[in-house]
Amino acid sequence: MKLRFQRKELCIPYFVFLILFVIIPIFLIIYYAFTDTNGNFTFDALVNFFSSTNKLNVLLVSLLFGLVNTILCLVIGYPIAYLLSNKKYNSNYIIVMLFVMPMWINFVLRTGATRDVLSWIGISGGEHPYITTMIGMVYNYLPFVILPLYSTMLKLDKSQIEAAIDLGCNRVQVFTKSIFPQSIPGVISAAMMVFMPTMSSYVIPDVLAEGKIVLFGNSIYLSYSNYQWGDGSFMALIMLFIVVICMLATRNFGDKDEGKASTW
Amino acid sequence: MVKKIFAYSYIYLILLLMYVPILVLIAFSFTNSTYIGEWNGFSFQLYINLFQDKEILIALGNTLIIAFISSLVSTLIGTLGAIGAYYSKKRTRTLIENINQIPVVNSEIVIALSLTVMFVFLGNFIFKENIFSFWTLLIGHVVLSVPFVYLNVKPKLTQMDPSLYEAALDLGCAPSQALRKILIPQITPGIVSGFLISITLSLDDFIVTAFTRGPGLLSGEGNIETLSTLIQAKIKKGPIPVNMRPLTTIIFLVVLVAAILVTVVKNQSKKKVKVRKGRAA
Amino acid sequence: MEDKNYIIDLKNVSKIFDGVTVVDNFNLYVKKGEFITFLGPSGCGKSTTLRMIAGFEFPSKGEILLKGKDITNAPPNKRPINMVFQRYALFPHLDVYDNIAFGLRLKKIPIELLDEEGKPVLKVNKEKVKQLKADIRHTKWNKALTQEEKETKINELNSKLEEVLANPEPAYKYRKLSNQEIDKKVARALKIVDLEALEDRDISTLSGGQQQRVAIARAIVNEPEILLLDEPLGALDLKMRKDMQLELKEMHEKLGITFIYVTHDQEEALTMSDTIVVMKDGVIQQIGTPKSIYDEPKNAFVADFIGESNIFNATMIDKLKVRFLNTNFDCLDDYPINEKVDVVVRPEDVIITEPNKGQLNGIIQNRIFKGVNYEYTIIINKNELMIKDTHEYALNKEVGLIIDKDAIHIMKKDFVTNIYTDAYISKNNKVMIDESPFECDLTQLLAGSSIDEDGYLVSKDKKKKYDLADADVVAEIDINDVEIVDDINADEVEAVGEIVDLVYKGDHYQLIVRTDSEEDFVCVTPYTYNLNDKVGIKVNKDKIRLRLKKDINEYEA
Repeated sequence: MKLRFQRKELCIPYFVFLILFVIIPIFLIIYYAFTDTNGNFTFDALVNFFSSTNKLNVLLVSLLFGLVNTILCLVIGYPIAYLLSNKKYNSNYIIVMLFVMPMWINFVLRTGATRDVLSWIGISGGEHPYITTMIGMVYNYLPFVILPLYSTMLKLDKSQIEAAIDLGCNRVQVFTKSIFPQSIPGVISAAMMVFMPTMSSYVIPDVLAEGKIVLFGNSIYLSYSNYQWGDGSFMALIMLFIVVICMLATRNFGDKDEGKASTW
Repeated sequence: MVKKIFAYSYIYLILLLMYVPILVLIAFSFTNSTYIGEWNGFSFQLYINLFQDKEILIALGNTLIIAFISSLVSTLIGTLGAIGAYYSKKRTRTLIENINQIPVVNSEIVIALSLTVMFVFLGNFIFKENIFSFWTLLIGHVVLSVPFVYLNVKPKLTQMDPSLYEAALDLGCAPSQALRKILIPQITPGIVSGFLISITLSLDDFIVTAFTRGPGLLSGEGNIETLSTLIQAKIKKGPIPVNMRPLTTIIFLVVLVAAILVTVVKNQSKKKVKVRKGRAA
Repeated sequence: MEDKNYIIDLKNVSKIFDGVTVVDNFNLYVKKGEFITFLGPSGCGKSTTLRMIAGFEFPSKGEILLKGKDITNAPPNKRPINMVFQRYALFPHLDVYDNIAFGLRLKKIPIELLDEEGKPVLKVNKEKVKQLKADIRHTKWNKALTQEEKETKINELNSKLEEVLANPEPAYKYRKLSNQEIDKKVARALKIVDLEALEDRDISTLSGGQQQRVAIARAIVNEPEILLLDEPLGALDLKMRKDMQLELKEMHEKLGITFIYVTHDQEEALTMSDTIVVMKDGVIQQIGTPKSIYDEPKNAFVADFIGESNIFNATMIDKLKVRFLNTNFDCLDDYPINEKVDVVVRPEDVIITEPNKGQLNGIIQNRIFKGVNYEYTIIINKNELMIKDTHEYALNKEVGLIIDKDAIHIMKKDFVTNIYTDAYISKNNKVMIDESPFECDLTQLLAGSSIDEDGYLVSKDKKKKYDLADADVVAEIDINDVEIVDDINADEVEAVGEIVDLVYKGDHYQLIVRTDSEEDFVCVTPYTYNLNDKVGIKVNKDKIRLRLKKDINEYEA
């Protein structure tokens, strides 16, 4: 009894920290989303949001961007992760490292550089905001897709693939019946790593679309700069809601904290 | 063979595309020009300018200080949290793990806004003054990175043979000694990677910094400027400041060295080369 | 005062985890220098007992004395006891030398404090005061004690405390061992375990056997009073295990310290120990020398667990006469006439002879060559008998068998009825045993009663109605009445469980089926099952005997 007591007390500071700076702020968001400036209960923010075509549009565009970006990243990243998991192409981790390295260079700087280079070759954000933003998104989130996929692929059960070949599957069938089903947890966690951050991204549309595209992140940022706590909090609440839905929808697939934590 | 060439060209094409913006920036750091695409002959002038650009140097300094301190704090409380949770009852552990998961899956802007809302609330109703400062910024960065410290330390604890701790007690360690001499060395790899992730998250962050910062550090009376916020403010108005180009080269080199180190360590740990240490006769 | 010859003394020690009694009223004393083994199947509480001696767990009840001194609540680092762990628990970040030196580097050697005249300085012993105060605190919070027990114990501790405070003792200061001393001790330990050349090696580069030796060296280098070994050979292969057994035995003789060894391997226990403690379900079944336990097992469990044995149901038919296998035998154990008993016959104690020249005849059904001897399965009517014999006999041949009276060991029968004290009646008049509904006959609770269409129990004269829903009852089922069903999804199955224990008794098995919620059903079956098989249980409704806990009038509707 006495032994355990001392060790488990070590988590008290962490627990207090989580309560103070994770739990309470979320409750404050809920509070602000449903009160006016005088602290009275109100549905103003909710009504504002759902009656404004502008804001609903933002939600729709954000979802669309999230979806398209997730698909693009997966389509480009899946073959790379698959190839990298093969010792033939990646014998000593160097290529994986090359894909990780850009993540260590300041993200705002990279986004700026992308914009400058794009406008140098004639694709300016002012004229083609959708193209530039999409390129920026894929460019930024691709490593986040490759890593979780790569670590899932490393764990693929090779004997299952051999069994599939042994049982007469051709190359395509081996992929559709053995490799892909086995990699689904990786695909899910990769998608989670891209979808939500894309929806709520601020810097990329702000810089690359020169303000012509407003995503959820920009919208929340705007309310914050205008001191509209109610509206901002309500949108944050919607974002939270979407996060929870995605979590619930994918929680049966495991590998949930693999992605971000496996950066190293 | 054809398949191999095809595979390699795909990998390298994507890699090349990913590096183009950075490489272009680096290339144009060796010429004194205002715009990307404008080459005015080879020169180190921008590098000389960089070391006189107080704005950038202050932002760089701030960025490094915040990254270091916030990672230190995150690593400390995150590691202790993971150890404590590991030895707690299952219910407590599940509770902590679930709360820990919130900032991991939550989007950065929601974290930033919720913290800001709280700081405004505290400033308005408790402290009766604006509390945005280095401290609020520090809290923001710790919230961002501490769950990853926890997630990196936890598997090292579960992989550890639980009787190691008991063996230490059995051999005469007091509980605190057993923690120091046995437990901590066992989970050190997790602590180190947790610390490194914290550093990268902090260095890269824009949103949380923009929301939670106040005056302080090297910025003195003004709002704390980090590289992210500085660059963001500049590129809203025009191209990337010329003096950022040489800085990109430097950052790239540092990252390259770090990447090589990590790769070497990863490949080394597979081989396990043992270096003998001396011992008293 | 406690006998100082006993190095360790466990008195009424019980351990309860979340309401489950893991060790039940354990009493044991161990003499100095003894090699004692706790033997039993997994989950029998042997490891928990060891961990209580080491100080990793504290008893819920009872006390542990080391050389007469109470160490019940002392932390592991304050006990002169060291342990060799199941998976060695070597520190992977330290090399062999540093692992072994670990305990030595923490050790503090007392030096007596002397004043200028060379007389010892007397001071109140702060350690003892601290320990006694801690004990008082522990007693106060101990939920297992009644208020009265607490008060007497606290008073006792308080008077001890006063005694300590009133009598200053010679004071000590402490120093650490020097590097030279540590070097010498480590070298000696390495020599004992035969690893002299490996002191600089990394733990991960060692083989299992070498790691095992390092673990032993790390423990014995501290010169403990008692060495605890928790299934230390479990991870080694068979050959290595045999070698280590002999080496451990040798080491024990050389070092002269007390070994307490935990294993589930009966052969290991028989080879090495001076004394074996056989445990089952947290209860000591038998304590004795290997020979006495093998020759004179106290019950069917011990007989079955130690060595190979034939166990039969038998009846005492006369003084020193027992009947089994449809034959009467002379025996040496005195039990009341007509008592049902279990009989153990060791396979090597049956003599094979010409047909009709022994007490009974059988047919050789199976023969396996085992190197030193043959192992025969003999069929006698429907019963099986296992025999070990060095001669070769033809298969399917009829042979005569002789079982001498000193080969027959008789044991009290351990179990005939399942009793469930937590049962209750469900809304639809079934008896709930362990949350599983069983069909039963409620009318047995009241002579002449019947059940009406609404489910009430109606008295003989139809005047009184009883609503027995939720009534607490005690249910009893004879072990012969519990039937086993292979198909756990079959309609007639009333509960499902896993076979956790089985003992072969010549023509049938006695087995224990444990349900998910830990209720046990003991039953007998002629068919072969394996441990951990999932089976269904059904009981004929007439065979469940019920007894209400309260008076039936309390349930009058």
